Amino acid sequence: MFKRPSSRRRGGSEQIALNLVPILDTMVTLIAFLLFTTSFFAVVSIESPFPETSLQALKEKITQKPLQLSLTITEKEVEIWSPFDRIAAKHIPNPAAGQPDVRAVHDFLVAIKQKFPLETKIVFAPYPAANYETLIGVMDAVRTLEKTDPPIYGKNKTTGVDEPLKLLFPDVIFGNLLGD
Amino acid sequence: MPFYRSISSRRRRPNLRKGFELQLTSMMDVLIIIVVFMLKSYATSNNMFSSVPGMKLPISSSPDIPPDSLQVIVTPESMTFENEKILEFRVTAASAGSTDAGYAFKESDLDRPRGHGIIPLYDALIKAREKAELLRVKSAARDADGKPLPFEGVLAIQADKRIQYDTIRKIMYTAANAGYKIFRFLGLKKDA
Repeated sequence: MFKRPSSRRRGGSEQIALNLVPILDTMVTLIAFLLFTTSFFAVVSIESPFPETSLQALKEKITQKPLQLSLTITEKEVEIWSPFDRIAAKHIPNPAAGQPDVRAVHDFLVAIKQKFPLETKIVFAPYPAANYETLIGVMDAVRTLEKTDPPIYGKNKTTGVDEPLKLLFPDVIFGNLLGD
Repeated sequence: MPFYRSISSRRRRPNLRKGFELQLTSMMDVLIIIVVFMLKSYATSNNMFSSVPGMKLPISSSPDIPPDSLQVIVTPESMTFENEKILEFRVTAASAGSTDAGYAFKESDLDRPRGHGIIPLYDALIKAREKAELLRVKSAARDADGKPLPFEGVLAIQADKRIQYDTIRKIMYTAANAGYKIFRFLGLKKDA
């Protein structure tokens, strides 16, 4: 005659069902909150300070003759030049009226950056009717180094070690805010 | 009797439901993946920039993500500062049927005789600056000398791609007169 099985053994085989309903409620609430508050409007920015100068700074410039890279945008061409003739002025004609050849501008500026790796500033002077899309396009070409560009090395001011540069001329300043 | 069998099977159905439980585990997996994805994108979008209907922002390859700041939105129809329309442009005759922006300032909106400054924008910027400075005076945050933190003077400019540089430089000139010395030009992030 068989004995009755132990109740302790039977109790161990019982399955525990986790109550997921409150966790599910929390998840749904969290998703709703995130959907309402998340911004799917991905914007980036290009920073530019208002140009400020003084008589002292102007006198220093005349004696030091810095590069002061300047970029003039007209309806027909883009001119890249230096007021102190540190580089030969380059005229890049626009393929279409009001649409600068940003690739040619970028390539020329990469060549200048190789000669002046520590220079970061560029003065912009667009013509009044240039549209915002043109400005952003040229500023992108002027500021960012692409992966296909030749590597340019510059000395890190804090460590003193030569490092590959990530930006071309990131400090864009508008030089004709009060008129042409 | 097939008819009676059918009724009896229907009557037995409630007995089958007795032990039925909805399998929530797979649904939980899906929800957790969605929450993780949203939290990840939530962490990268730290600004509250908004836009207006009909705005066509240019695409930019700049890697800089703008921190939150005051912003002015310019479309060929109007100018908005901090979600408040401050002026409306005049539609020019040349724009009829053309793809150009075709807008102009109303005479009353520009300072005369030079015409460099935009009066409604200047008023709005001064008001915002005074508000920001008042908040800084009341705030507990102080600099090394115990003075209130200085006004940053940053203005984000979000312009339609058809807006002309002449308008943008008027905005910059007006903002600089109101104490805003740093400008951030916004564009749509270019997909990698």
